[in-house]
Amino acid sequence: MYLKELSEIPGVSGDEDEVRNFIRERIEGKLDEVRTDRMGNLIGIKKGRKPKGRLLLVAHMDEVGLMVTKINDDGTLSFAPVGGVDPRVLPGKRVRVGEDKLGIIGYRAIHLQKSEEIKKPPSYENLRIYMGFSSKKEAEKEVEIGTYVSFLTKYTEENRKATGKAFDDRGGCSILMDIIDLNERYDFDVYFAFVVQEEVGLRGSAILMEQLHPDVALVLETTTAGDNPEIPEHHWATHLGDGPVITFAHRGYVTDKRVLQVLIETAVKHGIPFQMKRRTAGGTDAGRLARRGRGVPAGVISIPARYIHSPLSIMDLGDYRNTFELVKSVVEDGKIVEEVSG
Amino acid sequence: MKTKDLLMELSRIDAPSGFEKEAIDFIEKQVKDLADVMKKTRLGGLIAGIKSGGDLKIGIFAHVDEIGFVISKIEDGNFARLETVGGVDPKVVLASEVRVYTRDGPTRGVVGLLAPHLQKPEDRKKVPMYDEIFVDLSVGSLAKSVRVGDRVVLRGDPIELNGKIVGKALDNRAGCTSLIKSMELLKKYKTRYDVYYIFSSQEEVGGPGAATVAYELNLDFAIVVDVTHADDAPSFYEKISLGGGPVIGFGPSVDRNFWKKIMDIAKRNGIKYQKEPLPGRSGTDTDEVQIAGIGVRTALISIPLKYMHTPVEVVDPFDVDETARLLTHIVVDLEV
Amino acid sequence: MKELVKKLTEAFGPSGREDEIRNLILEEIKDHVDGYKVDKVGNILAWKGQGERKVLLDAHMDEIGVVVTNIDEAGFLRIEPVGGVSPYTIFRKRIRFERVTGVVGMEGETQDEIEKNLSKLSFDKLYVDIGARNREEAEKLAPIGSFGVYDSHFMEVAGRFASKAMDDRIGCAVIIEVLKRVKNSDITLFASFSVQEEVGLVGASVVAYDIMPDEAIAVDVTDSADTPKAIKRHPMVLGKGPAIKVMDKASISDKNILEKLINTAEKKGIPYQMEVLIFGGTNAAVLQRTRYGIPSATVSIPTRYLHTPSEMIEPSDVEKTIELLTSYLEGG
Repeated sequence: MYLKELSEIPGVSGDEDEVRNFIRERIEGKLDEVRTDRMGNLIGIKKGRKPKGRLLLVAHMDEVGLMVTKINDDGTLSFAPVGGVDPRVLPGKRVRVGEDKLGIIGYRAIHLQKSEEIKKPPSYENLRIYMGFSSKKEAEKEVEIGTYVSFLTKYTEENRKATGKAFDDRGGCSILMDIIDLNERYDFDVYFAFVVQEEVGLRGSAILMEQLHPDVALVLETTTAGDNPEIPEHHWATHLGDGPVITFAHRGYVTDKRVLQVLIETAVKHGIPFQMKRRTAGGTDAGRLARRGRGVPAGVISIPARYIHSPLSIMDLGDYRNTFELVKSVVEDGKIVEEVSG
Repeated sequence: MKTKDLLMELSRIDAPSGFEKEAIDFIEKQVKDLADVMKKTRLGGLIAGIKSGGDLKIGIFAHVDEIGFVISKIEDGNFARLETVGGVDPKVVLASEVRVYTRDGPTRGVVGLLAPHLQKPEDRKKVPMYDEIFVDLSVGSLAKSVRVGDRVVLRGDPIELNGKIVGKALDNRAGCTSLIKSMELLKKYKTRYDVYYIFSSQEEVGGPGAATVAYELNLDFAIVVDVTHADDAPSFYEKISLGGGPVIGFGPSVDRNFWKKIMDIAKRNGIKYQKEPLPGRSGTDTDEVQIAGIGVRTALISIPLKYMHTPVEVVDPFDVDETARLLTHIVVDLEV
Repeated sequence: MKELVKKLTEAFGPSGREDEIRNLILEEIKDHVDGYKVDKVGNILAWKGQGERKVLLDAHMDEIGVVVTNIDEAGFLRIEPVGGVSPYTIFRKRIRFERVTGVVGMEGETQDEIEKNLSKLSFDKLYVDIGARNREEAEKLAPIGSFGVYDSHFMEVAGRFASKAMDDRIGCAVIIEVLKRVKNSDITLFASFSVQEEVGLVGASVVAYDIMPDEAIAVDVTDSADTPKAIKRHPMVLGKGPAIKVMDKASISDKNILEKLINTAEKKGIPYQMEVLIFGGTNAAVLQRTRYGIPSATVSIPTRYLHTPSEMIEPSDVEKTIELLTSYLEGG
């Protein structure tokens, strides 16, 4: 499992180099071919023993974050979100500016806020990053407009739970790396694609189809739980501890019926706990893959996590392990390729 | 043609998304002696190619279409309703003259606003939306020929204002002008790559006019030239200035290495430029071109423009010329 | 034609689960085409005729519906929309799942809450009652992930047809009839019956990849603004023939194709109307952006009560659409 290291690397959409390098170093010797495409997607190929088809496994390397949009006269930085970042998760956070500089997102002291102000949510208009500079000139020496900013959270494990940032979708990346570590060869080609820019519009995956022409695809994601006391049970998307999440429909795409069937049957056959995703909100790269090239029947398996798209998410390590087991079984059984080749 | 004149000629042409023919025909005449190959695209655009025998292909894009309207319904008494083609603020349409293109030729119309004397005080506080707006066709001699689907363009005759050019459709005729000027400059140099200047269609409606060409040509690199807001920005963004030179965009939809090289080329050639952060989609053809086919390494260069999507858009010819210079130097100096 | 429309509209085929309607359409077309295939994602692609020029006609097979996302202890189902189903349209109506039909109810512990929920209705406040007494019973009849459609039958009323899924089974019917009738044309005609249009024009994004026709025409439905205080900016009405679409929110029809369609109609004396739709989109938008581009347009059947269980059309409009397209293809 590579979740710890992957989680701590900065890799906001458009700035995935470091994540890609980390992954590339570790998968290079284990696959028949590893290359980087024009947008920076990392593609690894394990050729099949027989020409029985092509399975594409996808996880995205990028995380949501921020970008510096203005350097203010007082030396603070204004910024905009890269991907979906709710501004309410930002006040009081430490951030990494650029590759390795430190900054903080402060907020006006409560003592100084009028009572209506306390209830008003923060917005990108009023949030600022402070790096210790007291003038624009000072700041310009170290930062420029366009600099990426990522959350700064140390990964920890306790009580069978992991906490950290970017579980969406370093969790999926880690699973793919674990599958590659099995060093198995199958009857069909397996393409491992670690893609970029999913969070800003499923962009990296858009160019996979014309390069790879897979017969079937499986997207590995980390998805929202929504299982907290504020939300009634019948509105939860998933529940931590209930195992890997299988999606039947999400924004812009209904997953392929045959693939869905295979995923469920495999879980049942191998006694792996699983849950269905119980909200159709949100989208994944499966929606993009379905619309490109000749199209591809696609499925989605996700690790459930709480508080994604914030600096601090929670994942159940048992769910991680069961998700790995499910994906491993699906690939080893091979039915996912057989079903769509019929 | 001088830059100012070219801008004004292009501004005068009425060519909303889906009806780019007149603009394409004009541009074709301007560039035919500057290109080795010329081709009309399937979706109404124009490709002008300069071959070098090199092994890389660079595409430079500018969309030709402007915003406008179509007649969506004819009402009794020589009135009609409009539907927008692209984003047109209803506020700039009121009390304006329009040109309606019927099968038998163009005819005039007026988008009226009831005189203040006859308005209720509460109504004066509201902005009429397109469901309330109507065109008065009675002022045109071909009113009877107007049909549902006829295209409509807001009148905005170009003028020179203190050295700047003001008119409609400078988004993106200014970009087209830069491309034409760049082709003229390129005549003085040898290029090592195949360069395609692409005058594309349907950008204002999010159409595939550019991306489909990028796919067809199998481009390695693409520069999209469009416009960006001058002198106005959300409070947490730096403002771009008119006269500050071409604006080079940076973000996920721009290839980082390509961007670095462009910045170097700009600096080395003393080209004045500005920078623009693009944290998400750029809102231009760059987004779709980048993910066309197996992907294209893209860059976005924008011309500063005031009052975008109004009939009084403003550009500084200096910015247009500087953009043309930058494009030419990129094509000539790019090392891959 | 009535029988065909009835058969097609009553079939079960929400986005992503088009098996039944796909088989039905295959049955209808197999004796009238030179060949066909079902692609990776479930689109039907058929072809007929030989000719240098290639034209593609497309209609989508899928209809809007709902999917079961949760089942509570008492056996009530929670649903989310698949495509543009308004909670208001489905409220208190019946939904047909594959094995059972249920009734849609709404939460409301007090009169105030009921009124509040009604004024701002969302799927969160709705549930489906399939008569189950508990979760186990419900799971046997309609487990999580089950798809449902409006429970509605085809009806003829004063010569007009009304049913669920006119959008776009009527388009499918038109193309089926064109396939049966077209002769002596020197073009290669392709017909696609595509999937998952209602959730975002998915199937049609890939259906033309290998054939890359010279032009594509989507046959779909459009609004009919001839009901009391209907959308004021829409000119389309029942009875004036096929609507030749200028634009909608997703695309602008290729003007060369529009011109040819209009010329064909006028030459053959086929009534037609021009269409501008201020909302919505059709598969033409994604056919147009396939690979290096396909000039595309849409021809529409005006329809009242779109996205409801009783979408209503005028049969003569359908007949004239078939005539227009057939003449268009034969005229070259």
